[in-house]
Amino acid sequence: MINSSLTDEILWQRLKIGDELAFSALFERYYRSLINYGNSLSSYPERVQDCVQDVFVNLWLYRNTLSDNVVVKAYLLSSVRKRIARLHERDTIFRQTAPLDAVQFSLDFSIEDQLIADEETSAQVSQLNRLINALPPRQKEALYLRYHQGLTIEQIGEMLDINHQSVSNLLHRCIQHLRKEWKGDLTLLFVLFSRIL
Amino acid sequence: MQQRNHYKKIEDFLADESFQKWVREGKERENWEEWTVENPQRAKLVAEARLWVLATRVPEPTFSSAEISAALQASRDKIKSIEKEPTVHSIPLWRRAGWRSIAAVLVLGLALGWLFKRQTLTQDTLTYTALINQDTQGLIEQANNTHKPQLITLSDGSSVLLQPKSKLSYPKSFEGDERKVYLSGEGFFEISKNPKKPFFVFANEIVTKVIGTSFRVKAYTDQPSVEVVVRTGKVNVSSNQAITQLNNETVQLLPNQGVRFARKKLIFEKITDLTREKPDAQSVTTIEQLSFEFSDVPVAQILKTIEQAYLVEIDYPQEKLKDCYLTTSLSDQPLPEKLKIICESLGNTTRYEMNGNRITILSEGCN
Repeated sequence: MINSSLTDEILWQRLKIGDELAFSALFERYYRSLINYGNSLSSYPERVQDCVQDVFVNLWLYRNTLSDNVVVKAYLLSSVRKRIARLHERDTIFRQTAPLDAVQFSLDFSIEDQLIADEETSAQVSQLNRLINALPPRQKEALYLRYHQGLTIEQIGEMLDINHQSVSNLLHRCIQHLRKEWKGDLTLLFVLFSRIL
Repeated sequence: MQQRNHYKKIEDFLADESFQKWVREGKERENWEEWTVENPQRAKLVAEARLWVLATRVPEPTFSSAEISAALQASRDKIKSIEKEPTVHSIPLWRRAGWRSIAAVLVLGLALGWLFKRQTLTQDTLTYTALINQDTQGLIEQANNTHKPQLITLSDGSSVLLQPKSKLSYPKSFEGDERKVYLSGEGFFEISKNPKKPFFVFANEIVTKVIGTSFRVKAYTDQPSVEVVVRTGKVNVSSNQAITQLNNETVQLLPNQGVRFARKKLIFEKITDLTREKPDAQSVTTIEQLSFEFSDVPVAQILKTIEQAYLVEIDYPQEKLKDCYLTTSLSDQPLPEKLKIICESLGNTTRYEMNGNRITILSEGCN
C-alpha cells in the first residue's frame, strides 16, 4: 500500500518512473473530483467516466514525457476539460446541430441546507444561491475552479484560455456584482463594507 | 495561519480551504470561531463569506470505493490492451502450448439476401470497384469463377481461400508499413504474423485490421450487410473512413463475438446469436470446421486434412513417410507456414514446393 499521505508531487515523480502504486494512488485521490467536474461540463455521465479514465490511461502511457513542474490537480482537471471539449467539438461538427460552441459549465450550486438553522440566513442564502446560479457559465466555472477545486488564478487562466488578469477581474467583478444585487437585510452591512474595502 | 489576519475581501476567505472546511464541516482546528470574534469588522466579513459557502454547495458524486476500484481496473485494462498492440511478438515456437492463443477471426458479409429481399443500396455504399480504384499500389486481381474455393498465396506468406464468385485484389508485394487487400465476396484469410505491418482487409464499407490471424470475410456487393465474427483472439473492425466520417468507431471483437455492419444505415449492430447466424452449412466441410490440432497423427493424415481444407493436392513420398507421426498444432498458421512446420518437424531432409494448388513434398523420411 502506498502511503495516502504522500504529496501529489512525490506521487507524480514516482508515476513518471513507472510506479503503478503511485498511479493507483493518484487515481483514487482524484477520480471523484474529476468526475464531478466532468459532469458539470457534459450531460453524458458515461462519456465523462470514459474521458476521466482515458486521461489516466494517457498519463500512464506517456509517463515518460510528463514534465516535472506540474500542479497535479490542475493538470488533471485541465486534461479532463480538454478531452470533453474535443468530444463535444466532434459531436457538433458531425451532428451539425448547434454552432460550434465551447463546452459549457452547467453545474448548479446548491444550498447547504443542513447547516442553516435560522430562517433569516436561509432566505439570504437562497437569494445568493439564485444569483450565483444565474451567472454566465464561464464565471460560474471560474468560481468553481477557484473556490471548490482550489486552483490558482494562473491555473484557471491557462485552463479557460484567458489571461490571469482577466480571471482575477472576472472573479472580482462577479463577486462585486453579486453583492450589489444581493439585497435584503445585508444592504446596510454592504455600505459598511464598501467603506472598509 | 497568520495570513488570515490580512484578509480583506470575501474572496480571501473563500479561497482558504481551512475556512471552507470550518463552515461546511464545523472543523475547529484553526480556531476560526475565536479568531472571528476577536474583531467585529472581521466578524462581518466572515459572516458574509460564510453565506457564500452555504450558497455554493457542490453536490459530490457518491462513489463507493468499489466503484472507484472498478474504474481503476477499467483504466488498467485499457492500458494493457493499448500496450499489447504494438508489441505482439513474432511467432513463438510452434511446439509451445501457448502459441495457439493467437487470433482466429471470421468475417462474414452475411448473405442476408436470403432473409431480406435484395435492397437497392444507397449511393453511399462502397463497393469493391470503388475501393480498388482508390488504391495506387498496382493491384493483381484474382477472381474465382469456379465452383470450388481457390487458394491464393500472398507475397508475405499469408494464404487466402477464395470462395466461388469472389474476387481478391492484392499487390504483388506489400510495400510500406501496411498490408492492404480488397475483397468482394467471401474469403478465408490466414495472415502471417507481422506486428510491424498490420494487415487490412477492405470489404465493402468495413475495414478489418489484424496483425496476424485467420478469419473469413464475406462481403458481397449486392447484399445489405457485412459481418465480422471472431473465433479466437482479437480483431479490430471499423467502418471505412471514406464513407462514414460521422461515426468512425472501431469495434473490437473477442472470441465468439460478432458484429454486423448495416450498409444502408452505416451502423454496427451486435450479433447476439452467432450459431444461428451462421449460413446454412454446405455439406462440404469448411476449413473452420477442421481441426489442425494433431496429437501423434500420421503425416499422411495431416496432409490429407490440409488437402481437404485448402483444396490443394499434395504429392509426397508415401512409402518414406509411412511411419512418421507428428504432434503439432497448426490451427492458426497460413498454409505456407503449416507446410514449413511439417517439413521442419520431419527433419532437415524434407522440404516442399508449391505451384498453384499443387504441392510437392520432397523427403527422405523422418528422423
